[in-house]
Amino acid sequence: MTTLLTLSGVGKDYAKIDTNGGRLRLVWELLRGHAASNVFRALDGIGFEMQRGASLGVIGENGAGKSTLLKIIAGVVKPTRGSVTVNGRVGALLELGSGFHPEYTGLANIDLAAALLGLGPDEIDAKREEIIAFADLGEHIRDPIKHYSSGMVVRLGFAVATALRPDVLITDEVLAVGDESFQKKCVAWMEGYLEQGGTLLLCSHSMYHIQRLCRSALWLDHGRAHMYDSADLVAREYLAWHEQRSSKARQAALSAAGALDYQVRRVSLRACGSGPEVDPAAGFDVDAAVFSPDGRPPVLALGVVRADGTAVYGSTSEIDGAAPCGREDGSFVFRVRFQDLPLLPGHYRLRAHAMDPEGLRLFDTHEVPFVVAGTTRELGHVRLPRAWQPAAGDAAPDAVRCRVDTAGH
Amino acid sequence: MAPTPGVARHRALLRNFLRRELSVRYLGSYTGLAWALLHPLALLAVYYFVFTMVFRAGGYQGKSFLLFVAVALWPWLAAQEALQRATVSLASYAGLIRKVAFPHEIVIYASVSATLLLQFAGYLIVLVALAAFGEPVRFAGLLIAVPLWLVMALAVTGLALALAALQVYIRDIEHILMPTLMILMYLTPILYPIALVPDELRPWVVANPFAWLVDRMRDALLEGRIAFAWGDLAALAVAAAIFAGGRWVFLRLSPQFEDLI
Repeated sequence: MTTLLTLSGVGKDYAKIDTNGGRLRLVWELLRGHAASNVFRALDGIGFEMQRGASLGVIGENGAGKSTLLKIIAGVVKPTRGSVTVNGRVGALLELGSGFHPEYTGLANIDLAAALLGLGPDEIDAKREEIIAFADLGEHIRDPIKHYSSGMVVRLGFAVATALRPDVLITDEVLAVGDESFQKKCVAWMEGYLEQGGTLLLCSHSMYHIQRLCRSALWLDHGRAHMYDSADLVAREYLAWHEQRSSKARQAALSAAGALDYQVRRVSLRACGSGPEVDPAAGFDVDAAVFSPDGRPPVLALGVVRADGTAVYGSTSEIDGAAPCGREDGSFVFRVRFQDLPLLPGHYRLRAHAMDPEGLRLFDTHEVPFVVAGTTRELGHVRLPRAWQPAAGDAAPDAVRCRVDTAGH
Repeated sequence: MAPTPGVARHRALLRNFLRRELSVRYLGSYTGLAWALLHPLALLAVYYFVFTMVFRAGGYQGKSFLLFVAVALWPWLAAQEALQRATVSLASYAGLIRKVAFPHEIVIYASVSATLLLQFAGYLIVLVALAAFGEPVRFAGLLIAVPLWLVMALAVTGLALALAALQVYIRDIEHILMPTLMILMYLTPILYPIALVPDELRPWVVANPFAWLVDRMRDALLEGRIAFAWGDLAALAVAAAIFAGGRWVFLRLSPQFEDLI
């Protein structure tokens, strides 16, 4: 195994320019060979190594520095600090239509891309057919790029970037644009490329693609490496973090809407068994108070989600026909017991939403985490009742007709 | 960054950009390249009308005034167009600069070369047309005129590098350039002979490098003086210094293009 890519202490500052005077000052600073003084730190202290055949996913929010990092590795941007060493040819597909001229036809753009990679027209001749076939644009290959749809541009871009078999392939969010069948084609190509020892750097918001194509992942947050581990682990943490953050934001937006709305005043969850963890058979009690601004009894919605936000179950007091008990301070108290839970062991959250008396509008959200005790090798979220049937004799034809009955009991 | 053979890599790119510059200028125009040839002739006809028929300008040192002006005016127009086009050329490559790693100076080289190549072709057409109308053009003078164009190209490229790089940061460059070039044209002895400039102002006019170029061009093409002069080497040195200075400015400023363009 050889080291193909080494980054150490890489950082990038972008000059902040708010006035025309700022532009002049920046020119003066650069001409004197100084670093710009008024800067935005887009990336800082990034360091990792990639061996030949490795695959790294880069994830993070918008503006976390993902594109800047890929641009630095592709050589488009010079890092302000640190060093980058690449021992091989980099093929970069940075965003839509990178490196294409809109007035040119698809064919002319293939030649341009080849020239940018340092290939002469004769060297590209051999590859041209392959590119045209992969892009699969039909007669459109003779039209100017400006008449292409964004998906068509990406097809051509991907075809060009991959036909040259780079040592490192850098792709930034390109899989998001193509249609379903082209996405499949791209993923299949990348898998084949990785099997043959190719090295991949993929930036995507799709954790599915990250987990499918990458062995490790780097999570960037505000220009810094937040987490660097196996792709599965990073993707899971990232999703859970997102889920948490968006529910917080939702709550903040709702509470900002004013005190005159239906509000969850209090939610508590108490395991019925012994210990803080919930024993599935014993279940748990929920005690919630919902404020009603107009004195009418509100509706309480309760839901159970996995730690990563996957919904497991939800219902409301209106569906169940349960009535709350009104109190003098304008709030209504609900008490529910959940028992004989089919939940598999693991981390969950209980969500309580305040709704209007009609059960139509959702106003407020509170969450309480809980753990279902135990260990298991089963998969999924819930345990479905089932019964394995005895095989009916040795005769194969009967066994084929045999069905597993999972309902009832 | 990638270990590719530098020179070969950039030559293919320069060729591609140059073709792009040439074709984009005439792409979508029906007259196409024919216009590139007709334009200098049309301009020459206008100058003939103005100087010979309206002003009835007399000859200068036995040469017609039209010939006297044409020999000097075309190199100036070429330099002017090259600077104006190159100054704004980076913007049309913004998509590439933001997404692909390549030496940005190649854009300037392609833009300046395209302009100067077309203008030089126009210059030759004008000289041939003038000769066809009986003007005494000394074609042997091209032995000096062609190297002079190359020296000019070197200096123009240097200026273009600096202007184009500054234009990315300061958008005013483009707007200041046009009137500045206009003023400079009248301060250069193109439409008048240096001998007519008052004595006390003449040193200032002569200090302009382009005045030297114009004078040398006229000597060669009107008088047929094609002997080498030490001044030619000095001119080459000045042009090389302008090129080096312009390229220094460009390389200092180009790492931030990707963000600002």
